[in-house]
Amino acid sequence: MADKLEKGINTYSASECQTASRSTAARNPVALLSVTLLYLVTLLSVPLDHLAALLWFGIYPLICSAYLGIPFSRIFVKSMAVIPFIALIGIFNPWFDRAPGIRMGGYELSHGWLTFISITVRGLYALQALLLLTSACGFIGMCRAMRRVHVPAFLTTQLEMVYRYGRLLLEELQQMRRARMARGYGRRSFSVGMWGPMIGQLFIRSIDRAQRVHQAMLCRGFRGTIPDWQQNPYRWSANDTAFTAVWILVFLLLRFLSPQLLFH
Amino acid sequence: MSHHYIQFSDVHYSYPGGGEVLKGITFRVTHGEKVALLGLNGAGKSTLLLHTNGLLMPTQGEVNVGDVPVIKKTLPLIRQTVGMVFQDSDDQLFMPTVAEDVAFGPMNMRLPKEEVDRRVRVSLAAVGAEELASRSPATLSGGEKKRAAIATVLSMEPSILVMDEPTSGLDATGQRQLVALLKRFTHTCLIATHDLAVATLLCPRSVILKEGRIVWDGRTANLINDLETLRHFGILPIDTEIGCD
Repeated sequence: MADKLEKGINTYSASECQTASRSTAARNPVALLSVTLLYLVTLLSVPLDHLAALLWFGIYPLICSAYLGIPFSRIFVKSMAVIPFIALIGIFNPWFDRAPGIRMGGYELSHGWLTFISITVRGLYALQALLLLTSACGFIGMCRAMRRVHVPAFLTTQLEMVYRYGRLLLEELQQMRRARMARGYGRRSFSVGMWGPMIGQLFIRSIDRAQRVHQAMLCRGFRGTIPDWQQNPYRWSANDTAFTAVWILVFLLLRFLSPQLLFH
Repeated sequence: MSHHYIQFSDVHYSYPGGGEVLKGITFRVTHGEKVALLGLNGAGKSTLLLHTNGLLMPTQGEVNVGDVPVIKKTLPLIRQTVGMVFQDSDDQLFMPTVAEDVAFGPMNMRLPKEEVDRRVRVSLAAVGAEELASRSPATLSGGEKKRAAIATVLSMEPSILVMDEPTSGLDATGQRQLVALLKRFTHTCLIATHDLAVATLLCPRSVILKEGRIVWDGRTANLINDLETLRHFGILPIDTEIGCD
C-alpha cells in the first residue's frame, strides 16, 4: 500500500512537472485536445454493429503514442485496469439481444455479442486517447487547453480543483498511514474496525487542509476561477496545423470510407 | 493618511462551537514598523493574523488597515494591501510551477500579462528564487518552498506583510537565509513567532499574547534581557545566536 501511495503521489508530481516543462514532444495541448475530441466524436458516431470499421480506429492511439514518444504499453496497461468497468456497460447485451449478427468462419455471433464487443472496444479506444492526452500535456495542461477552446472557466476550475484534491487526499492518507505504521509494532494491515475512523479522519484532515489552501487562494484575490498564465505559453505552429489536419483527414477516411475497401 | 498600518480595536473572536480565542485585542502596528507577535501555542497568534486579511471577521470589535475597515466590501482592497505568508508553505503553493504560483495573485488582480511577467521576475529575484521558476513546488526543499511562498505574496506588491511562523520547519541555514531576506524588506510587518531570536533580529517591537489577551507590549531589546517576564509567559530565552549572511 505504501508503494501504491508513493506511486500515486509521484504520478501527480510527474503530471505537474509535465505541465511545467515542455520537454515532451507534446504538440500544442490545444492541437492535441482538438484531435482527441474529434477522434472521440468520429469513434462514437460509428454504428454499433460496424465492428470491422471500428477496429481500424485503433491506429490512432498506436501511431499517436509513437509520435509523442509515450510507450503504448504504458497506455495499454493503464487502460486495461478500467476495462471491467467499460465492459459492465454492455454486459447484458448478449442475453437480451440474441438476434443474428455476423458470421465469422463457421461461427455466428449474435447481435448482442456484437454490440457488447463494440461498446468495449469503443470505450477502450476512447480511454486510450484520453490517457494519451493527459500523458502528453498533464491533467492541468489539458484543463488549460480546454479553457483555450472556450470551455467555461468554472468547469475547468472545478476539474483542476478535483484533481488537486485527489493529490491532497493521497498525501494525507500517506501521513496517516505512516503514523499508524510507526505505532503498529510491525502489524501491516488495518483491522476492519479501524477503517471507519480512518476514513472519517482522512476526510476531516483533507477538508481542513483544503480549507487552508482555499484561505491562501483567497488571500491572493481568488474569485472562483484559476487564472491562466504560463511562463512560456504555447504558440500555434505550422506543425500543429499539419498534425491536426492529417488526423482530421484520417478520421474522416476511417469514418466515411470503408477501410476494407481501401485496403482490399 | 497612510494605509500602511493595522489597527486592532477591542477584537474578540470565538470559533464556532468553541470558546473565545481573542479577548479584546487592541494595538496598532504603525507605518514601517516591524512587530513580533509572541506567545505559546493556542495563545491566538494565528487567529489574530487571519483577521488582518479578512479571512476571519471579529465577533466583536474591528480591524482597520489604514483608514479602511476590514469588512466584506473592502476585502479585495485589503488583500492587495496586506500580504499573508502562511505557516505551512505547502498550503500556499498549489499551482503546477513556482512561477505560476507567483503569478496567481497578480493575475487575479487582472493586471496585463506584461506587468504580471515583470512582477514574477522581480518577486522571484527578491527572494533569490529565479532558478525555481519552472520547478514544481512538490519538488522543492523546505527553505525553497518558504522563499517561493514569500515571492507569491511579494508579487502582489503589498504594503503590509503578515507572516505566521516564517522560520518554522527550517534548518539553521534556512533560518539564516530567511532572516537575511526579511531584513531587507521595508514593509510594515507583523510576524507571529515562537522564536525570540528571530523576533530580536527582525522586530524592534514585540507583543506577547496569552490566552487571547495582550499581556506585554514593548521593545524586543528590553524583553530579551527580562528573563523573569520571559519565564512568566513561557517564552524560551535566546540560547543560540542566529547570525545573518
